[in-house]
Amino acid sequence: MRKKFIYPAIIALIAVAAFQACKKSGSSPTNNSTGFDRVGMLKNLSTNIIVPGYITFQASVTTLDSSITAFNTSPDLTKLGNLQAAFKIAYEKWQAVSTFDFGPAANENLRISVNTFPADVTQINANVSSGSYNLASLSALPAEGFPAIDYLLFGTGADNNAILVQYTTDGQAANRKAYLAAVSAIIKTKTTNVLSAWKTTYPATFLAASGTDVGSSVGQLTNELNQDFEVLKNYEIGIPAGTESMGTTFPTKVQAYYSKISLQLALLHLQAIQNIYLGQSAAGNGLGFDDYLVSAKATYNGGSLNDAITNQFAAATAKLQALSDPLANQITTNLTGVTAAYAALQLQTVLLKTDMPSALGILITYGDTDGD
Amino acid sequence: MLNYIREKFSSFTKTDRHIGPLAVLRMAFGSIMLVSVVRFLLKGWVYAFYIKPRFHFTFYGFDWVRPLGATGMYLLFVLLIITSVLVTIGLFYRIAITAFFLCFTYVELIDKTTYLNHYYFISVMAFLMILVPANRYFSVDVLRKPELKITYVPWWAIDIFKLQLFIVYFFAGLSKLNYDWLIAAMPLRIWLPAGSHLPVIGGLLTQLWVAYVFSWFGALFDLSIGFLLINSTTRKFGYFLVVIFHLATAWFFKIGMFPYVMIFVTIVFFSENTHRKIIGYLSRIFSKTNTVTDNTGGYYQISVAKKRIIYILLLLHFSIQLFLPFRYLLYPGKLYWTEEGYRFSWRVMLMEKGGTAFFHVKDPRTGKRTEVINSQYLTDFQECQMSTQPDMILQFAHILAADYQQKGIKNPIVTAESYVTLNGSGSRLYIDTTVNLANIYDGFGHKKWILPFHNNN
Repeated sequence: MRKKFIYPAIIALIAVAAFQACKKSGSSPTNNSTGFDRVGMLKNLSTNIIVPGYITFQASVTTLDSSITAFNTSPDLTKLGNLQAAFKIAYEKWQAVSTFDFGPAANENLRISVNTFPADVTQINANVSSGSYNLASLSALPAEGFPAIDYLLFGTGADNNAILVQYTTDGQAANRKAYLAAVSAIIKTKTTNVLSAWKTTYPATFLAASGTDVGSSVGQLTNELNQDFEVLKNYEIGIPAGTESMGTTFPTKVQAYYSKISLQLALLHLQAIQNIYLGQSAAGNGLGFDDYLVSAKATYNGGSLNDAITNQFAAATAKLQALSDPLANQITTNLTGVTAAYAALQLQTVLLKTDMPSALGILITYGDTDGD
Repeated sequence: MLNYIREKFSSFTKTDRHIGPLAVLRMAFGSIMLVSVVRFLLKGWVYAFYIKPRFHFTFYGFDWVRPLGATGMYLLFVLLIITSVLVTIGLFYRIAITAFFLCFTYVELIDKTTYLNHYYFISVMAFLMILVPANRYFSVDVLRKPELKITYVPWWAIDIFKLQLFIVYFFAGLSKLNYDWLIAAMPLRIWLPAGSHLPVIGGLLTQLWVAYVFSWFGALFDLSIGFLLINSTTRKFGYFLVVIFHLATAWFFKIGMFPYVMIFVTIVFFSENTHRKIIGYLSRIFSKTNTVTDNTGGYYQISVAKKRIIYILLLLHFSIQLFLPFRYLLYPGKLYWTEEGYRFSWRVMLMEKGGTAFFHVKDPRTGKRTEVINSQYLTDFQECQMSTQPDMILQFAHILAADYQQKGIKNPIVTAESYVTLNGSGSRLYIDTTVNLANIYDGFGHKKWILPFHNNN
């Protein structure tokens, strides 16, 4: 009896599968009415966002490095101004690629090398005065990258005249210039390595890992998008605003404390993450996670999950825009506004970290799952 | 049907059975365990799961279980490898399988983060294998001491494994008979499209009807496979289904060794003759003697007292097996949401559940509060599992309370702001954010601080 039922069912299933398989082999998966073109999304993200992002960032880092060389050769106020401007541009461009800390960037430990903040001023000064240091060690992370340059170029004196003295007549001027150059060289080398991987072999690897498990490109992107969002939420806003220290605020712990562009950078960072989500670039609005969620018909609280995430990006942006630089001052004078921005980012964390991967079946942790 | 079972049962119990299936099961189980344990080591999971974490989520009543430290944990896994080999070849069998059971179960008890039905199943199988003389035929023990050799064992020595496997499949099937699985095709309608990159079948996996076919077929398979394997006329077909089904799940989902474990151990359902053929085949590979002769072996003899103890243990074991999957009925609310009575019930692949949990610690003296960075206490894997399981959320709250107490805050108030999404429901608040979890103690009672699940989609 049972057998009579199951045999035909199995045969039917296999036949249908075979038929579908044959039918599919001729056409490309993009023509699938219900399936989402994950490779298309990866292609859009890599071609239009990741690679151009790294090209721009690498160019800005190269300019920064040559500005440092020019300044170090004959330091004056004009060159200091140029250098400071080049630094701000490079730090801004960094925000657009901070998310992609997998593959080539992970090999270089790019994110923590370039942007571990707050800067450890004591360590930086000790390194400068001793003239001997190992910037490759883990403990040196807070003494290098953009936060170190931020301090060296904006925090070593009350104004540019005082700062210039540190590079001219100060007893440690030579050491300081050498340190500045050393820190910049690391950023430049690492960035150049990452860019060259993305320009040559890595895109093929990236597109080939088109699954949804931990090692897949979608899995890594989702994971790093969330890690990076935590950097924004916790390190750029939360920790300085005292959310993790019983209300004791730490205004000096903001990103770019000395150059006072913290809020501007945070906004650029949020914008960059939103662009990745939307697949939005100079080339237009291509396939992104938004399209993926729409195709999966993901819901949230009676509406669409994509709407919820898009709205929350807007809400968080508005809360950040209501603040002004320097962010460190806002933490002292307008803590309510800062914590409101933090709360808006917090809600988005839930949507990006829980709802999005869960609706798409993306695995973000290793280990086996329960099977049948 | 009932008569059929009764008839079968009395014919079962009357006759002794050839020991062949037991010897093959011993080798199958031992060898697949060897592969599993080595794989676990090679993946670096001993470090990631048992050495790296600062804290562990023990099971209720087992909070005295602690990991051994790096050297100890690795030695334990070496012991698991050695005992797997000993079980496979049947050398010092009883000691080996007992040690394997104890070590394996101990490892599983350290942290419920890694809880899987597969691991529970392995503990259960190892426990049952302690009770049977699986080394008395085609084993090194018999080579060592030929007088150990027996040819016949009592019916229960083999049939307890069939019963156990039947229970596993059948309860897995029963747990699928619900709205989410059958009517909403959840979570397969989320999981299958995630495999759309797979060759040949990828495009098919994105089709909604395929999720329905897989859901219904999966439920039907689980419910009926035990019957198909027991019945000699459908057995071959049943086993064919077992192989196809498990290989398919191994291909689609990240479920590790489990499919292979099941493909190996369900061989036990085959007849004596099949097992004799398997042993004959193996002996031609490994041994100079061409065949295993049965004429020297006798019947399995044990004292009445021992037999009685084994019967009582088995009765107890299978009573628990039959009760545990139904204990969820004692709790109110949606089982998948509260997970009260969820574990140890062969509920597999039923939920796509994700969560994010923010913990706040408040100093009652100053009224100031702080958000906890979970990653300072937990690994990613622990945090991920914790955020969707209430008992783990409570345990973490107690870890935090103890830590802040040590930092000098008297009676810290610990609350959880946790958002969970279940089978595509979209995230919503999971835990009552006003409840001070530091003052709540775990138990078998209903956790009233879990907010009820309302599906508003």
